[in-house]
Amino acid sequence: MSTEPYKVADISLASFGRKEIQLAEHEMPGLMAVRAEYAAAQPLRGARITGSLHMTIQTAVLIETLTALGAQVRWASCNIFSTQDHAAAAVAVGPDGTPDDPKGIPVFAWKGETLEEYWWCTEQALTWPDSEAPNMILDDGGDATLFVHKGAEYEEAGAVPSPAEDDSDEWRVILDRLRNSLADNPGQWTKATRTIKGVTEETTTGVHRLYEMAKSGTLKFPAINVNDSVTKSKFDNKYGCRHSLIDGINRGTDVLIGGKVALVCGYGDVGKGCAESLRGQGARVIITEIDPICALQAAMDGFQVATIDDVIDQADIFVTATGNKDIITADHMSRMKHQAIVGNIGHFDNEIDMAGLAALPGIKRVNVKPQVDEWAFADGHTIIVLSEGRLLNLGNATGHPSFVMSNSFTNQVMAQIEIFTKTDEYPVGVYTLPKHLDEKVARLHLDALGVRLTVLSKEQADYIGVPVEGPYKPDHYRY
Amino acid sequence: MNGASPDEYIADPGLAEAGDRRIRYSERSMPLLTALTHRFRADRPFDGMTVAACLHVTAETAVLARLLRAGGARVRLAASNPLSTQDDIAAALAATEGISVFARAGVDRKTYYEHIALALGPDGPDLVIDDGGDLLNILHTERADVLPRVRGGCEGTTTGVLRLRRMAAEGALAFPMVAASDTPVKRLVDNTHGTGQSVIDGLLRASGMLLAGKTVVLAGYGSCGVGIAECARSLGARVMITEVDPVRAVDAVLRGFRVLTLAEAAPLGEVFITATGTAEVITAEHMAVMRDGAVLANAGHFDVEIDVRALETLAVSVQPEVRPHMDAYELPDGRRLLLLAEGRVVNLVAAEGHPPEVMDVAFGIEALALAWLAENAGKLSPDVHPVPADIDAEAARLVLAALGAEIDALTPAQRAYLASWHFGS
Repeated sequence: MSTEPYKVADISLASFGRKEIQLAEHEMPGLMAVRAEYAAAQPLRGARITGSLHMTIQTAVLIETLTALGAQVRWASCNIFSTQDHAAAAVAVGPDGTPDDPKGIPVFAWKGETLEEYWWCTEQALTWPDSEAPNMILDDGGDATLFVHKGAEYEEAGAVPSPAEDDSDEWRVILDRLRNSLADNPGQWTKATRTIKGVTEETTTGVHRLYEMAKSGTLKFPAINVNDSVTKSKFDNKYGCRHSLIDGINRGTDVLIGGKVALVCGYGDVGKGCAESLRGQGARVIITEIDPICALQAAMDGFQVATIDDVIDQADIFVTATGNKDIITADHMSRMKHQAIVGNIGHFDNEIDMAGLAALPGIKRVNVKPQVDEWAFADGHTIIVLSEGRLLNLGNATGHPSFVMSNSFTNQVMAQIEIFTKTDEYPVGVYTLPKHLDEKVARLHLDALGVRLTVLSKEQADYIGVPVEGPYKPDHYRY
Repeated sequence: MNGASPDEYIADPGLAEAGDRRIRYSERSMPLLTALTHRFRADRPFDGMTVAACLHVTAETAVLARLLRAGGARVRLAASNPLSTQDDIAAALAATEGISVFARAGVDRKTYYEHIALALGPDGPDLVIDDGGDLLNILHTERADVLPRVRGGCEGTTTGVLRLRRMAAEGALAFPMVAASDTPVKRLVDNTHGTGQSVIDGLLRASGMLLAGKTVVLAGYGSCGVGIAECARSLGARVMITEVDPVRAVDAVLRGFRVLTLAEAAPLGEVFITATGTAEVITAEHMAVMRDGAVLANAGHFDVEIDVRALETLAVSVQPEVRPHMDAYELPDGRRLLLLAEGRVVNLVAAEGHPPEVMDVAFGIEALALAWLAENAGKLSPDVHPVPADIDAEAARLVLAALGAEIDALTPAQRAYLASWHFGS
C-alpha cells in the first residue's frame, strides 16, 4: 500500500490549531516538564510510534512531546467523531512548518470519518515508509493493537475469513481492509508483531482486550496498562468526565440540567464523575449498577440505585458509563419520556443499541445539528441521541480538559520510555506502571496548582516504613 | 420575684460554676456580642430598664443576657421550651448580679407558663425578647395590666413572627415588635446554616444512625429546610422534599431534590424531619404506612408538626428512652416508629442548639434592634416592624471583621453608575 504524507480535513486550520496548542501547553505542565527533563537524553530516539488516540489539541501536545524526546510518530484518531480538525492540521504542519511546506508528522484523522475511512486511517498510521514496521504502539481502545494482531493471525492462517451472518458492519470493514492488506503486502503484520517492542494502552476498554489476549495466549508483545495508573484512571476518568460530560450535554442540547432526573448507568470512576457533576448542576441523579460494591458506594453517596426498567419512564437524561454493551436497548428508548436525552460516555458505541433503534418500525431520524439527532417513534414521541451513541464528551464537546489529559498523557510518555528503553524487563504480558512513576506524574502537576507538599522526616518515613522520597503506598492501595 | 431567692426557680445553684465555664467558653465564639458588650458598656442604652426575655436557656443566651446587663438593663429570663433549659447555665445566670432566671429542664406545661409569667415581673418590663411568642401571648392575655409600660420588643423565630402578624392584623398587639427572625443576615446564618447543622447534629446524637445511604424525607424547604437538606445530602443521605409552596418547591427541584407529597413519601422514608412552622404535618395516615424503624424528628419551633398524640393512639406499646431522646412506638403490626425528642425541636433537645457563632449573629441583631427600640420605640406604631437594614448590615460587618474577611467599597464612579439611568450599552 502506498503511503501519503498525511490526510486531514483542512490544512489551513493549522495556525488556529497552533494557537490552541500553545494555550494547552500551559495547562499541561506534566508533559512540558517531561520535555525539559529528557531534552538532552532523547530516550525515544529510534522509536517509531504508531498512535491511535483521539486527535485533539491535547493529543497534539502529547505527539510533540514524543517527538521532542526523539521519537518518529504516525497518528490516527481512535474514534470517527473525536478529531479536532485544527489540531490535526497543526500536527501535520508542525511548529516549524507552514501549510504549504508542512514539517509535522504524518497524521490521518478528521472529524466525521466513515468506518471505511477510519480503518484506512488506522492502517495508514501503522504503515511506515520503506516497508518499515512500527516498533511501538500508543493505543486508546486497542484498535491499532487489534488490527496488527488480526492481520498477523490471518497471515498465518493464509486468508482473511468471510464475515459471519451476524457480524457487525464495523467488523466487515476491518475484514475488507485486512483482505486488501494481505493481498498488497503479505507478511506485513507478522513482521510488525516481531518489530513492536510494546504497546501502551490508554483506556479501560483497550486494557480489557489486552488482558483477554494475554489470558488466551494470543498477545504478541508486552503492554503497559496506562489506564490503571492512579494519576490516569482516578483523574482522567473521574475529573475529566466530571468536566466534559455536562459540557457535551450543554453544547448538544442547552437544556437546563437543574431539576431534571438523570440516570447514570455505571458507578465506576467515570460514573462517579458524571454523577457528581450532574448533581452539582441540580439534577436528581439515579444510578444503575451490576457490582454490589459500586452500588453500595452510590447509595452511601446519597444516590438512588435502581434498575433501568424501574425508572425508564422517569429520567430526562440517560448517560451510559459502563464499558459494557447493550445497556440501553431499543425497547428502553421506545419507553422513554418525550424528548429524553440519551448519550454515552463509555469508549465504544455499543452501550446504546443504535442499530436496534434504527431498525424499529416507523422510526424516523431528524438531524438537529452535528452530533445531535432527534429520533421520532411511530407513536410520535421523540428522544434526542447525542453523538450517535458514541462518547458524547468528545463528540459534542472537546473531551477532557488539558490539565486532566496532561496527567494521563504524562503516564503515556513514561510508559513509552519504560518499554522502549527497558524492553528486556518486560516479557510479553500486561503491566501497570511502577508506583514511583505514578507518583512522579502527580508530582509534576503540583506546582502549577500552587500545591505545597509536606515532606516526611526520616523518622516519620521510618515510622510508616516508606522511603522519604516514596513510593508511599503499597501497590494494592486504592486511593 | 425581685424579693425571692434567686435560686428558687432553677434546678441546682451548685451548677453555677460549671455553667459559668461554659458561658465563658461560648464567649470566645461570639465575637459580635463581645464587640457589642464593649460598646454597650460605654453607651448604656438600657440604663434603668427591665428586659423580660423568653429564650432557650443555653450558654449563648447567657452571653446575650450578660450583654444586656452590661448595657444597663435588669434582665428577667424564662425558658422558651420546657425541655431545652441547660440547668448549669441557668444557675450561672441566676448567680449574676442583675439577672433573674425562671427556668429548669423538664418542667410540666403549667410550670413552664408560670415561669414566663414570673419573668414579666410585678410591674412589667420595658422591653421584651421573645422566641416563639409565648411571652407575648401571656403578656397580652394574663398580664394586660402591665402592657402600658412595655415600649417594644424583638421576636427571634419565624413561628413567633407569624403569630405576631396575626395579632397585629387583629389589632391585638399593644406595642411595636421587631421581627428579628426575618433579616437576610439572620435567615442565612441562623436558619440555613445554624439549623441545618444542628438539626442533623440532634438527629445523629439521638438516633446514632449512619445517614449515608438513608432516605430522608424533609417536610418544608424554607430557609431552615434548605440548610437541613444540604447538610443531610452532604452526609450521603438521599433527601426528598415535601412542600406546599410552589416557589420553594421549584427551588428544591432545581437543586436536584425529589419533591413529592408526604403521602407518597411516607412509605419511602427512613428518616422524617419536619421544618414547616405549621401543625399536623406528619399524621396518623402517614404513620400507618411508614417503614419499620422509621425515625421521626421535628425541627420546627413547636411540637405540633408531628402528631404525637396520633402516634400514641396508634401504638400498642411505647418503649420510652430506648436511647436518650428516642422513644420507640410499636404499632399493631409489629412495626416500630422511633420518635426523637418527643416531637419537640430536635436540635435543641437532643443536641445543643445552634453553635455559638450562629447565635452570635442572631442575638447580635436582636441586641442592636433592642437598643434601637429603647431609643425609638415611641416613634413606632404597635405593629410588626422589620429590622432596619442598616442594623442588619452593621451585624454583617461585625461578623466579617471577626472572620477576618475584608470587602470592597463602591467607588464614587460605581455609585454614580448605579444611581443613574443615563448609562447604557
